[in-house]
Amino acid sequence: MKKTVSLLLALVMIFALCACGQAAAPVATEAPAPAEAPAEEPAPAEEPAAEADALVVDTCILKEADDAMINNYSLLAVNPEAPWVDADGNPVSDVTINTVGAAALINWLLSEEGQDLAANYGFDQYGEYLFYLKDGRPVSTAEIPAATEETRIIRLSTTTSVNDSGLLGYLLPIFEEKYGYEVEVYSAGTGKSIANAKMGNADLILVHSKKQEEAFIEEGFSCVLDGMDTERLNWMYNYFVLCGPSADPAGVKDAADVKAAFQAIADGKFPFISRGDGSGTHTKELSLWPEDLGITAEAESFKDYTDWYISANTGMGACLVMAEEMGAYILTDKATFLTFVANDGVMG
Amino acid sequence: MGSSIQKAIELILSADPELLNILATTARVCLTSSILALVIGVPLGILFGAERFPGRRVLLVLNRTLIGMPPVVCGLLFYMLFSGVGPFRHLHLLFTVKLMILAQVVLITPIIIGIMETFVADTAPALRETARGLGFGRIKEYRLLINECLYSIFSAYLLSFARAIAEVGAVAMVGGAIAWKTNVMTTAIMMYTNRGSFTLGIALGLILLTLSLLVNVVLSLMQGRLSR
Repeated sequence: MKKTVSLLLALVMIFALCACGQAAAPVATEAPAPAEAPAEEPAPAEEPAAEADALVVDTCILKEADDAMINNYSLLAVNPEAPWVDADGNPVSDVTINTVGAAALINWLLSEEGQDLAANYGFDQYGEYLFYLKDGRPVSTAEIPAATEETRIIRLSTTTSVNDSGLLGYLLPIFEEKYGYEVEVYSAGTGKSIANAKMGNADLILVHSKKQEEAFIEEGFSCVLDGMDTERLNWMYNYFVLCGPSADPAGVKDAADVKAAFQAIADGKFPFISRGDGSGTHTKELSLWPEDLGITAEAESFKDYTDWYISANTGMGACLVMAEEMGAYILTDKATFLTFVANDGVMG
Repeated sequence: MGSSIQKAIELILSADPELLNILATTARVCLTSSILALVIGVPLGILFGAERFPGRRVLLVLNRTLIGMPPVVCGLLFYMLFSGVGPFRHLHLLFTVKLMILAQVVLITPIIIGIMETFVADTAPALRETARGLGFGRIKEYRLLINECLYSIFSAYLLSFARAIAEVGAVAMVGGAIAWKTNVMTTAIMMYTNRGSFTLGIALGLILLTLSLLVNVVLSLMQGRLSR
């Protein structure tokens, strides 16, 4: 008796769940329609391509392609002989790093095949290239050895933007299939990615914060691979873009350059969403504020600005959703922003 | 919410290979860890409840403290210990399912010990009197006690399974949420939320809740049969 009642109850709940889904479905597809109309009208008056897609998303690119906004991506192999220390600062000597695997992945990414794939990524999907190859970039013609039992697993510690934009999900399976490696991607903000590598948990890093990369090299955590000139292999870039509400109350669009734009936001105390998580984007943003504000990564430094400066401490996509909700300004990498717009304000 | 529910159903029907992999990893982690915790926790809990020995109270206080340990602290501890520069680096366990299970066992076992101890401490005196009156030996006395405990063992297991399946802090730290390897439901939800895809996050959350409901229904049925 008890058993049948419980079973019935379970079935009823499952049905209710399904029914809700079906009932709510038409509402969900209809809902965005009325919202499209008002957003569409102001759009044509402003910028062309980006806004034409942005039917639901109000946040748009206000400032881009400024030299101060270049977003450089670099590959760094982790040095197996680095001055490893444990959590208490005691030296540790025998840390296992798969340098052969790291070199194989780096050589492939810098080979003609890898570079072509990266450069053309995203065009089919977004009608725009998401990453550009740098002039004078390192190029590799080295032969890539097939994976062996010891070198099969490559630990890549990387930033969220290359992962969330789908670049790695597109490139890595091709590499894995061809040479038999298995790449384990640990994706976090640049700060956390580098910290993870310093704890001996990565064979190579792919990040985008020159300052933090140079500190990493300075401390001896990176090494020069055979056939390369430097530790920091900077081969790919795209742009950071300053985004905000299409109404642009701070007049960012008319600002002379990006620093003036940040000055205007600060002067008018317009809401600004900061990543606040030590990521490459966060580091870049900190360098763009007027110096007299004294905004740094320390919470203490912006305690007087909390009425407009919002330190979100979360991923790029979640910050974009926040900016959209609050009509706030935000600094983002272009790849993530395009993905955000293409999916009507939710990241795929 | 509506579109999330629709998306959840679509996701299940499409049998997306990544989703299936996440589900399989989730099942492996939380079933193994909750069962291991049960195997370790139940005997200890019964021992703490039924016996009186020096140091018992201190151990109980320590156990209660461990019940309150935040999962991320546990995760951080394991991350440091098993890191490339940590003392257990030679085991090469960081970012593996095994270490996720281990971290969860450490989190869950104290809960099971706590539940069993409370129940046994309450039942044991009366039961012992009866057993003595009937002239039972020590072994028979324990068998009677365990028989009496079966219902609360089930309750303890349900709670520990719930904790295992819902836990995110520890598995995210020690597992690293690596796709196709250590990504479980909760870390996937966190990952999607960080990316801003709340709908997909809620869809996964709904699947997780439904699974939890099914497991609980089955176990409750078994428990109900037991109490009769």
